[in-house]
Amino acid sequence: MPQVKIIAKNFMDMVAALPALKLDKLYDNTFICEAVLRSLPPLAKKYVLQLLYIDEPVTAKSMEDWVLTDGVSKHRVAIDRLIQLRVFLEITDRKKETSYRVNPKFQGNLQNYIAHGGVLPRESMSSSITVRLPTAEELDSYALEQWESFLLQLISSGQAEKKTSFSPSMMTIFQKGLLSLREKEAPKLTESGFQFLLMDTNAQLWYIIREYIINSEVRGVDSADLISFLLELSFHATGQAYNMNTLNPTQRSAIKDLADLGLIKLQQGRKEDWFIPTKLATNLSVSLSDSSSRKQGFVVVETNFRLYAYSASKLHCEILRLFARVEYQLPNLIVGAITKESLYTAFENGITSEQASFKLFLVFETVYLQIISFLQQNAHPRVCDRAAPAVPENVTDQIRLWESDLNRVEATPANFYEEFPSKDVFEGACDYARDNGGLLWEDSKRMRLVVKAEIHTLMRDYLHRQK
Amino acid sequence: MVSHIGPVTVMDSAPSKQYSDDVSLVMVLLDTNPFFWGGENTTTKVSFSNFLIHVISFLNSVLLLNQLNQVVVIATGYNSCDYIFDSSTSESLNVSSGNGKMPALCSKMLQKLEEFVIRDEQLSKENSPSGIVSSLLSGSLSLALCYIQKVLRSGRLHPNPRLRDAFFSVVVACLGIGCISFNFIEIELSHLTDINLQILCLQGSPDGPEQYVAVMNAIFSAQRSMVPIDSCIVGVQHSAFLQQASYITGGVYLKPPQLDGLFQYLSTVFATDLHSRSFLQLPKPVGVDFRASCFCHKSTIDMGYICSVCLSIFCKQHKKCSTCGSVFGQANPEVKLPTDRKRKAIDLNAAYN
Repeated sequence: MPQVKIIAKNFMDMVAALPALKLDKLYDNTFICEAVLRSLPPLAKKYVLQLLYIDEPVTAKSMEDWVLTDGVSKHRVAIDRLIQLRVFLEITDRKKETSYRVNPKFQGNLQNYIAHGGVLPRESMSSSITVRLPTAEELDSYALEQWESFLLQLISSGQAEKKTSFSPSMMTIFQKGLLSLREKEAPKLTESGFQFLLMDTNAQLWYIIREYIINSEVRGVDSADLISFLLELSFHATGQAYNMNTLNPTQRSAIKDLADLGLIKLQQGRKEDWFIPTKLATNLSVSLSDSSSRKQGFVVVETNFRLYAYSASKLHCEILRLFARVEYQLPNLIVGAITKESLYTAFENGITSEQASFKLFLVFETVYLQIISFLQQNAHPRVCDRAAPAVPENVTDQIRLWESDLNRVEATPANFYEEFPSKDVFEGACDYARDNGGLLWEDSKRMRLVVKAEIHTLMRDYLHRQK
Repeated sequence: MVSHIGPVTVMDSAPSKQYSDDVSLVMVLLDTNPFFWGGENTTTKVSFSNFLIHVISFLNSVLLLNQLNQVVVIATGYNSCDYIFDSSTSESLNVSSGNGKMPALCSKMLQKLEEFVIRDEQLSKENSPSGIVSSLLSGSLSLALCYIQKVLRSGRLHPNPRLRDAFFSVVVACLGIGCISFNFIEIELSHLTDINLQILCLQGSPDGPEQYVAVMNAIFSAQRSMVPIDSCIVGVQHSAFLQQASYITGGVYLKPPQLDGLFQYLSTVFATDLHSRSFLQLPKPVGVDFRASCFCHKSTIDMGYICSVCLSIFCKQHKKCSTCGSVFGQANPEVKLPTDRKRKAIDLNAAYN
């Protein structure tokens, strides 16, 4: 039975999935309105701005006149998204003409923003109370350290030096999908887990936050409250201290969890506690361009397949171990080599036994590209300064060749049909399968055919009808 | 809710990256010419303070659209011009206004604007105006272009061009072999698109023909750096300079018929990011005044003499070019003028069609 799973690509998909009542409640908060607007496609943003001071509904027809013929599909995407998020309310009048108007709450909040400019969600604490706040560098390194130790704990529960305060059950939820936890077996990285480790920090962070929100109901927390708090958090200024007393109990417990992830740094004063958002938190809702989040690279790959990583991080070592043979580790340097064997384990790691074999093809592509893009994104600055590509071409080519060695054969689950009563029924079945895009092989002489497994039920119904 | 049937294998890319291609840097050139706003022959329907309210709302709306958006305001005075607001500086963002009533953007900008106007006034006392009282458009255009060059060269937007090149070569290599999913390329390429740069001139005062050469040079340099110059005319007459500027750089030229709803014009037309402009109905140019100013008397002319060596323009026949020093032969005006007129006519036709 195929497993049904809900995927939200980003915060806004989660927001859009909320029931209308909750969504309208969310729009009471200016920051949500702001974040929602910023997440929209450019054209949709423009429409909102254009209709912001128009209280009358505008007919769909007149809006279509705003775009040139090339932009019709974009126009439709924009309108759909606006309606999905209830930013636009659809009104159908007596003549069955559709018109749209901006959600009044949303409109009011944004009009306010335009007249008065952006404000911060809460006043930061004065420096007389907080005395000494961490510098931006300290905060960044703190965030990175927390995040890495969390990841380390996630992938190999024994290795992390610092334990987080997440309950084991919560950790298991995070690990679900990333590790295959089977009894009497050491936990093994799944294909998703493998991809997860090679993703950049923002993507990883989003994965974890998504799981955190989805499972919030289990802990008795309203997911809408949590989403609204997380969005609001992203509007705080990085590195400023905010009083903990301004938070309600739900938010306070969420903040403790976020501190474990490195999104927040908690500090204690003599009388009051305060929290300091790190860059990870303020980047949470925004559509980041890669440039703003790029870290200092550390990897040098030579043409002889040797790999030098200037890093003391355990996590980096673990990640490199996924696809390279780590030979020795110095205090600030990891030396390894990319070998055929190490890559084969990487490609095999990408797949677990329970996954259907027809996925093989797709998986290999991404594993290969992910390794290359990981090496390129983390290339040492000295390497980037050179004119040559960050990863030598012969290495990328060889990795691709090794990978293509493994997928010469493609397997598709299928069903085999034979013993048709007549030629007509057989040919009808062939045509039916072909129309549904599932015909793999036919032998008209002996009246046998092979059809993809996915349309087996359709085929069965069809053949029953023929009788 | 987006439901997905089947085992989930491919993990999603980073959150909401797909719409990051509308990040804009808008340079707003604000006409603060006192002779225009406060002149006794004022026929404008909107006062300077009302105008500012519209502009500030517009700036807010640009900043609202994307958290990475940036606006820079340059005041164009009568004698000078200066930066009066930059949303990227930390002071303009984190400062919480004193009494909590006046927003930070407003108070900072108005304070700087006031200082600027006073300074500008002091300069004009020394050399009192005569003739056309135009504002220093060439100066503020140059300031805007300097800022843009600084942004482009700082490498802030292209943190690692080598990496981009390397990535492209990989993508191209993969395309050659045909083993890459196309969605992947699309997503990756959208990461690499740069910030949209644009200049918006809010101009009221008439053109100053003496600035012709400087303005044209600024326009061509904007064209070279592929920065569109949008113009919104709040004065009475059309501006030939800005018509040409928008025409040459591919920007939008608009003279709103009603200034009470200036914000609606600004937000509808000029808040559109460059990417969306390619598929939206925007005001079309109604005609461009291509007339040039002569180099000798700085007056706008329909017909004139052009140096065949350096293309300098003169309203009268000279013996020697004042720019490059070439000596002209005896020209026969009977022969020369008709061709000039013909060329002019072609130009204008091209503009009107």
